Amino acid sequence: MARLELHQLSKHFGSTVAVREVSLDVGNGEFVVLLGPSGCGKTTTLRMIAGFVAPTGGTVRLAGQDVTALPPWKRNAGMVFQSYALFPHLTVEQNVAFGLEMRKVPTAEIAPRVAEALRLVRLGGLGERLPRQLSGGQQQRVALARALVIRPDVLLLDEPLSNLDAKLRETVRVEIRELQRQLDITTVMVTHDQEEALIMADRLVVMSDGAVRQVGTQRDLYERPADRFVAGFVGRSNLLTGRVVAPGRFQTAGGLTIACAGGAPGPSVIALRPERLAMGPAAAGLDNRLPGTVEIVSYLGASIDVHIRVSTADRVVVSQPNRADGRVPSEGDKIDVGWAASAAVVFADDAAATSA
Amino acid sequence: MSASATAESLTSLAARESRGGRRSAAAALVGPATIFVTIGLLLPIIILFRYSLNKFVPGRFMVDALTVENYILFFTDPYFLAAFYRTLRVAAVVTVICIVLAFPLAYKLARMESRYKNLLIMLVVLPLFVGNAVRAAGWMTLFGNKGFLNVTLEWLGLISEPIRIMYTEWAVIIGITAVNLPYVVLTLQSVIEGIDRAVEEAAYSLGANPWTMARRVLWPLALPGFAAGAIFCFILTMNAYATPVLLGGPQFVMMGPLVYVQFAVKNNWPFGAAVSFVLMSATLILTAAANIMVQRRYRG
Ligand SMILES: Nc1ncnc2c1ncn2[C@@H]1O[C@H](COP(=O)(O)OP(=O)(O)OP(=O)(O)O)[C@@H](O)[C@H]1O
Ligand SMILES: [Mg+2]
Repeated sequence: MARLELHQLSKHFGSTVAVREVSLDVGNGEFVVLLGPSGCGKTTTLRMIAGFVAPTGGTVRLAGQDVTALPPWKRNAGMVFQSYALFPHLTVEQNVAFGLEMRKVPTAEIAPRVAEALRLVRLGGLGERLPRQLSGGQQQRVALARALVIRPDVLLLDEPLSNLDAKLRETVRVEIRELQRQLDITTVMVTHDQEEALIMADRLVVMSDGAVRQVGTQRDLYERPADRFVAGFVGRSNLLTGRVVAPGRFQTAGGLTIACAGGAPGPSVIALRPERLAMGPAAAGLDNRLPGTVEIVSYLGASIDVHIRVSTADRVVVSQPNRADGRVPSEGDKIDVGWAASAAVVFADDAAATSA
Repeated sequence: MSASATAESLTSLAARESRGGRRSAAAALVGPATIFVTIGLLLPIIILFRYSLNKFVPGRFMVDALTVENYILFFTDPYFLAAFYRTLRVAAVVTVICIVLAFPLAYKLARMESRYKNLLIMLVVLPLFVGNAVRAAGWMTLFGNKGFLNVTLEWLGLISEPIRIMYTEWAVIIGITAVNLPYVVLTLQSVIEGIDRAVEEAAYSLGANPWTMARRVLWPLALPGFAAGAIFCFILTMNAYATPVLLGGPQFVMMGPLVYVQFAVKNNWPFGAAVSFVLMSATLILTAAANIMVQRRYRG
């Protein structure tokens, strides 16, 4: 239980930059999730914290101590591996006791602590088994108990749920979260599963291409995405490309003029959450109201997606809750789409800027 | 090792097949191997054993008999006994050296992620492309009194007299070690590759330093592989022929050359057969003992 501070942490593998200047503060007892597409450097970052990968630059501070140069066995970091990495030749109890033995915990103290850890993960009674005699879910919990029993300064989880089936994953992620709260243990988890990240994290770190794109709560990322990547990666967004022609005025590639809040003149992108858009009579009186044609209607159960073409180049998706009294438009209908200027987030269009 | 593993998988395959009522297919699969083992291995051994109980009468070659006097001769004659102990000693020393030298190399190879990995494995195997005799000849030019090593040391002023390496036990040990090393490296490498790397990292993250990790995690998991490598190396050394002859010289007699001399030079087939049998039995007994020990360790 301690603070974890990463300062401009980088890792280069030859010419590939796996992690670039990542800085991050994880508070005492906080649960931070590193989220990003495959190959964005999440695992490498986690492994630098654990000490398995030597950073090319930057520092790792754990519990106030600079551990950058320390080998893994001198850091007090508990790790749960994607493959669980249980010792196949040791029983469950021996697996969990391993870290305590390494720490020279008095023999008399080991057994009760092992039993306590196994009880925490609800594995009491299976202590005599060998790992291969356990189900995947049970192995995962042994791995968790083994990492927790040493009372680490930080708990590191690398896609701990990816080898479990969908049903089990849902219960285990809640269990891990509860355990983490109960023990008040500083935790960093890596995942590329957005739902998992949103459910478990206190704070999320969105990474792409080795760099941190945004750090924030679920709400921060959703309401105020820092850039186009985050807007597209966390939740869904309608992205309209074009340019800001004057403060508060945006012109789409399809020639539509839209009122927006803020944005510097130049090539830009507007991000709109599908559920923040209104259609039909509900669009009346909003800052933006565009006539359009319904192209696709997707019935998703809890909600309905309506794809509406508003110009030759622009199409938006409107998501409306599926209410008993709701009117569902049909394909080919003429319909208005509207939204408040404040519902849109405007970013400078990096892609257009570099290609121009 | 791999032959017995194949045999085992074949028998288990046979068992499964026969349960499914497809005996003929299984027999067709197991048949060739069984015939080969019977004719190629078992039969010569039986014949050899029979020969070893015969009498040798100079001038009359081999005379039918049922006597153990060849064995009594072997175990009472200091010359033969010395050859026997020498062979055991060399085999033990070579095995220990091979395992110690092979492990770091095998470990590096197994854990390597570079694209040069296959190239390095080829380099390890490369010496096997050169026959034992040719390699021993190479060692002779290196070890001889006027060999490269002595000339260099003298030139450097480190020695005034050439060091005698040729025709010593150490020359033979070095020579056989060089021959066996690739086999041991490859055996250990494949075993270590089968151990999940994350298991080592888990040990580190739990506070084990590399030495403790090796002792508590790597060693117990790799033990069957170490046993396989060691047994392999031991058997190869017990039966070595070219290297002891060329590097050990005429005074340095090991069991392999001894068998050859009895059969081909002295024409004493019964005694040659007895020596072969002693060699084979000793190898088998020690191998089996090592196997049992490892199995015990593994269960307990
Ligand atoms: N040992 C290595 N040698 C060379 N390149 C590496 C090594 N480890 C990682 N990389 C590269 O660094 C980048 C980041 O890898 P990393 O494993 O951290 O990604 P990740 O975000 O965990 O992806 P995933 O979600 O697929 O697990 C990738 O481009 C990867 O190819
Ligand atoms: Mg990863």
